[in-house]
Amino acid sequence: MKRQETTLATLYLAPAGLVLLVFWFAPAVASLVVSFTNWEGADTLDIVGGVGWRNYARTLGDERFTAALANTINYALWSIPITMSLGLGAALLVQRKTAGASIFRTVFFLPYVTTWVAVSIAWQYFFDPETGPLNHLLRSMGFEPLRWLAEPRGVIEMFATGPLGLESWPNTGFFGRIAAGPSLAMASIIGTTIWRDVGFFMVVFLAGLANIDPGYAEAAMIDGASAHQRLRRITLPLLAPTTYFLLIIALIGAFRVFVPIMVMTPDGGPAKSTATLVFYMYEKGFVQWKLGLGSAVGYLLFMIILIPTLAQARLFGRRVHYD
Amino acid sequence: MTPIFGAFLVLYAGLWVWALIRARAPGSRQAIIAWLGLNAMTLAALLVLFPMVWMVAGSLKSAEEAARVPPTLLPDALAAGQWRIFFDQIKENYARAWASPPRAMTFARYFWVSSVTAAVTTLGVLATSVLAGYAFARLRFRGRDALFGALLATIMIPPHVLIIPNYLILERLGWLDSYLALVAPFLASVFVIFMLRQFFRTVPAALWDAARLDGASHGRFLWSVVLPMARPVLTTAAVVTFLAQWNSLMWPLIATTRPEMRTLMVGLQSFGQEGAAEPNLLMAAATFSMLPILVAFFFAQRFFIQSVARTGLKG
Repeated sequence: MKRQETTLATLYLAPAGLVLLVFWFAPAVASLVVSFTNWEGADTLDIVGGVGWRNYARTLGDERFTAALANTINYALWSIPITMSLGLGAALLVQRKTAGASIFRTVFFLPYVTTWVAVSIAWQYFFDPETGPLNHLLRSMGFEPLRWLAEPRGVIEMFATGPLGLESWPNTGFFGRIAAGPSLAMASIIGTTIWRDVGFFMVVFLAGLANIDPGYAEAAMIDGASAHQRLRRITLPLLAPTTYFLLIIALIGAFRVFVPIMVMTPDGGPAKSTATLVFYMYEKGFVQWKLGLGSAVGYLLFMIILIPTLAQARLFGRRVHYD
Repeated sequence: MTPIFGAFLVLYAGLWVWALIRARAPGSRQAIIAWLGLNAMTLAALLVLFPMVWMVAGSLKSAEEAARVPPTLLPDALAAGQWRIFFDQIKENYARAWASPPRAMTFARYFWVSSVTAAVTTLGVLATSVLAGYAFARLRFRGRDALFGALLATIMIPPHVLIIPNYLILERLGWLDSYLALVAPFLASVFVIFMLRQFFRTVPAALWDAARLDGASHGRFLWSVVLPMARPVLTTAAVVTFLAQWNSLMWPLIATTRPEMRTLMVGLQSFGQEGAAEPNLLMAAATFSMLPILVAFFFAQRFFIQSVARTGLKG
């Protein structure tokens, strides 16, 4: 008895389908078309024309784009490992079901439910070179105050030419920028995002930990395994799917980061050292109104994120089958 | 700093005593590890809370104190116990920050725009996703799985690619600078459709057979049998959608220009940019903008944490 229910299904799918068609599918195609034109915001349509691959060539040849790519990679390289290990550490510390643990859980999660814009504003004053508590702390401990959000030098570069006393450190070009590390301005923003996101990672890790059968750890304990052994040989391997999932989420998030950068350094930071790819696209599209160029940047970004998103889609796919 | 330092010491001593009492065998290795863990957590918790304490403290100061070098944590009036001056300063800061938007508006307007946008979007997403999720989970039609696969593929498109064409579409429709611009593009969510479809598939088919024998239609069955069972998933979807919408900045920044249509995030951001707002007023604005979600979090902590954990587990 295999009756088709096409009419009803069409009816049920229509509302969501309409929205997705108009605001997701159509724009995705339109954006691709626009990326091959010289459209600028105020132009009337008759002077808009195709320019072939020129937008892509111009973007790839733009030093600012290369810098934005390096900034974004720096952001990902530094924020992801720290956030993930802190999130895992917090989860392991607070996973016990005691009243005390639940208080800490709440405190660690708290930053995640604050609003980004407000947090960024508060942290801007936190990093203020004159009136901020961070420099106050440095001064009172006898250190030189830092310029935080106004410092274009990379953190590795600063460490190498400062405390290490090296003459110079590479800081130009794509690889130089990565070797120099994120600028202190970017590192300040990374610190803020870590502060806010650790709670999210902790909660997801906690859910992953809760799914692990305690029987394994008990069996290992009976066999005399130490806490460290149990962590390395049982908990971490069994937690791997959660870790993998979070890694992908973090990677995609790192390539999409925008709000804290926009609020804490609205002009892209000192020497444009906090301008990420999304920030660069925003500037091209909506500050300079070069819509064609901006769309090309958007598609380049799309290509770059494709690898982690494909991994995420595979994860999705697996869940579809085995859920 | 002294009273705070004192309070901290008392708290710390309390934790110490608590740890000693809790430890099954004082002085054993486990007890020492537990004690170290407690210390680490206390330190981490203080580090996490400090920026927020700094923000709230900043909102209680006068402009001169907020810009003082070297900075002090507590307002002078509070440290000196001059309650009258202290409360007057708070009242002044918050009232001035609240009334800072242009054209005789207040932050109430921004809160209103954000609430309407987030609430309508959330209801819309739930409605469209329940229907679509049910169709994908339970209805029989040709090409169902292929269509669902195509839908899942759209999560690969980063939303930023869509911003420029969406802007152009809304401009053509004449919807820019209105609630429609803030709400319409977000009225369907592939992620929520996916989440609901996965849940609907776990509803036993026997329930549907029974309902059909009683003469129920699909709509009736969905409304009175499936939805009541789906409450936890619906809550998750609602919390996640509401928060995402409430916090979004880039799209509202682009799609609206009139101050009347600013969301809370855009309003707060422009208060920070539009000239020389004093830091104490900015901190006050930042503080009261965070408040509604924080209050909601304290009352419905479990919902929040479970919802976030569930989005993690479900991908």
